[in-house]
Amino acid sequence: MKFVGLILKSARRSKRRTFLTVISVAMAVFLFASLRAVLDGFNAGAEGSSSTRIVTQRSTSLIFTMPTSHAEQIRNTPGVQDLTWANWFGGIYKDPRNFFAQFAIEPESYLRMYPEIILTPEEKKAFLDDRTGCIVGDGLAGTYGFKVGDKITLKVGIPIYGQQDFDFNVRGIYHTKGGAVDNQSMWFHWKYADERSVAKGQTGWYVAQISNPDHAAEVSAAIDQKFANSPYETKTETEKAFQSSFVAMFGNINLLLGSIAVAVVISTLFVAGNTMAMSVRERTTEIAVMRTLGFPSGTIFMLIAGEGLLMSILGGLVGVGLAWLVVNPGVLPTGGFIPEIGLSTSNMITGLGLSVLIGVLAGLIPATMAARLKIVDALRRVA
Amino acid sequence: MPLIELRDVTKSYKRDAIDIPVLDRVSITVDAGDFLGLMGPSGSGKSTLLNLLAGIDRPSRGSIKIGDTEISSLSERALAGWRARHIGFIFQLYNLIPVLTAFENVELPLLLTSLSKAQRRDHVMTALGIVGLADRVKHYPRQLSGGQEQRVAIARAIVTDPTLLLADEPTGDLDAKSAGEVLTLLQRLNEEFKKTIVMVTHDPHAAERASHLLHLEKGTLVEQTVQRS
Repeated sequence: MKFVGLILKSARRSKRRTFLTVISVAMAVFLFASLRAVLDGFNAGAEGSSSTRIVTQRSTSLIFTMPTSHAEQIRNTPGVQDLTWANWFGGIYKDPRNFFAQFAIEPESYLRMYPEIILTPEEKKAFLDDRTGCIVGDGLAGTYGFKVGDKITLKVGIPIYGQQDFDFNVRGIYHTKGGAVDNQSMWFHWKYADERSVAKGQTGWYVAQISNPDHAAEVSAAIDQKFANSPYETKTETEKAFQSSFVAMFGNINLLLGSIAVAVVISTLFVAGNTMAMSVRERTTEIAVMRTLGFPSGTIFMLIAGEGLLMSILGGLVGVGLAWLVVNPGVLPTGGFIPEIGLSTSNMITGLGLSVLIGVLAGLIPATMAARLKIVDALRRVA
Repeated sequence: MPLIELRDVTKSYKRDAIDIPVLDRVSITVDAGDFLGLMGPSGSGKSTLLNLLAGIDRPSRGSIKIGDTEISSLSERALAGWRARHIGFIFQLYNLIPVLTAFENVELPLLLTSLSKAQRRDHVMTALGIVGLADRVKHYPRQLSGGQEQRVAIARAIVTDPTLLLADEPTGDLDAKSAGEVLTLLQRLNEEFKKTIVMVTHDPHAAERASHLLHLEKGTLVEQTVQRS
């Protein structure tokens, strides 16, 4: 403890350099923690998905629809207990920049199969009873100030739905549990969209509830077999795989964001290491004097490494604090593409751990240089 | 009673595979309580001899015994511990740590001891009192004159009550008045506190304060003078 004061005094020697080093570590930790939070957000859907739900889509791509006449055949597949379907709507709320996801769903079965969507019984009934009713996530409601009873008008985004605007009545503000459903979306009656659709009776994907998750592969294969060699061949997979493939549409996000985070951390490591080495070079005489006074090389190592560690941990705290402030739904809306992102405790701990690692690695070489300094040579350098 | 015994000490440095001799079979004995002045032209080996006595350099050959310890055979770690207990070193350029106050500079060697904070404070205030700077505890080196800086450096050297005080041209960077004050202080430490001092100097006035003088030339001892016994 008695050396802590010495470390603090040394760190304050060049305030500007210490500040810049702390900030560079802070930025690295901030970026790392933020990117991890975004990655977690992308993966949350897959992580929180149900093992008893399988999703059927067109084998070619999710953007192509298929007839709702498939529903009966899927429902009759052995192992399937329940069925629902949904479609991407792509409407525009006032301005294309106000992006959020809207889904046309078969409401009764969808709410039955997705207990993660939490509504009060009154809200649920009001939604089911109103053909032009919709429900919005509490995150989305917070962003745009939607309240129960409000009217929302969406311009048509996909030409298949004609040119006339769609008016909706907000019948409920839903909350969520788990990561399978995000709270930044809007859900409404599939029939309402279908009435105006040029191509009637089409849907984007089916979700089937299966009785035994161990039989997911067999049930999926049986469903796809039913539509093999038809104009609407299907691809059925677990909800987790479906969510992952949805994320994969953006490219290899994990690799991209992971690479950026690693690159930032490595470059910060070099910056911090170089700064520490520069600081040691400037203090060559002082270190030699301390060695002359009897400071063992181990203590010198500890003092220099401790200084690097101190700056790095300080940077880590600033970085994590900044990430905690910035990475929250209020500041970073995700537009429904990914579930709400927030900084998890594990990301904060990892960020701080990273700052410790940067501090240890950056201080290693300068501290070793200082500990191995030949006293006489160092004193002669200035004498 | 001899405190320092050097026997056939030789020191040479290697530069580009060439041996450069600095000290050649130097043997000296210094009694406890002596104030030894080391004189000689530049390159005569007097600073090297002082470094060997301080245990911050090692002889190529020969034996250096200080008190009961043969320091040339100590490991680096043991030597650091020995220096902390037995050596007080005064540099020509003071070498105070600029970010530490006078108090903290003097306290520095005590951080290596098991003394409590209060005990360290007592020792530091005593040392600063001896050098006459008890009222400058919170001053940083940049706020002190050269003479005051050197007196703080002397306080740092004596704060652990070392066996041996080594001074490498302690007045070399000072004006005549400050140099006189520093020399008077060293003489007082020798006479009043019975400290054994070895001082390297070019200055004949400084040398006059020593009780014994050794003259080195080209790494060998050429003359030994007793000025006071």
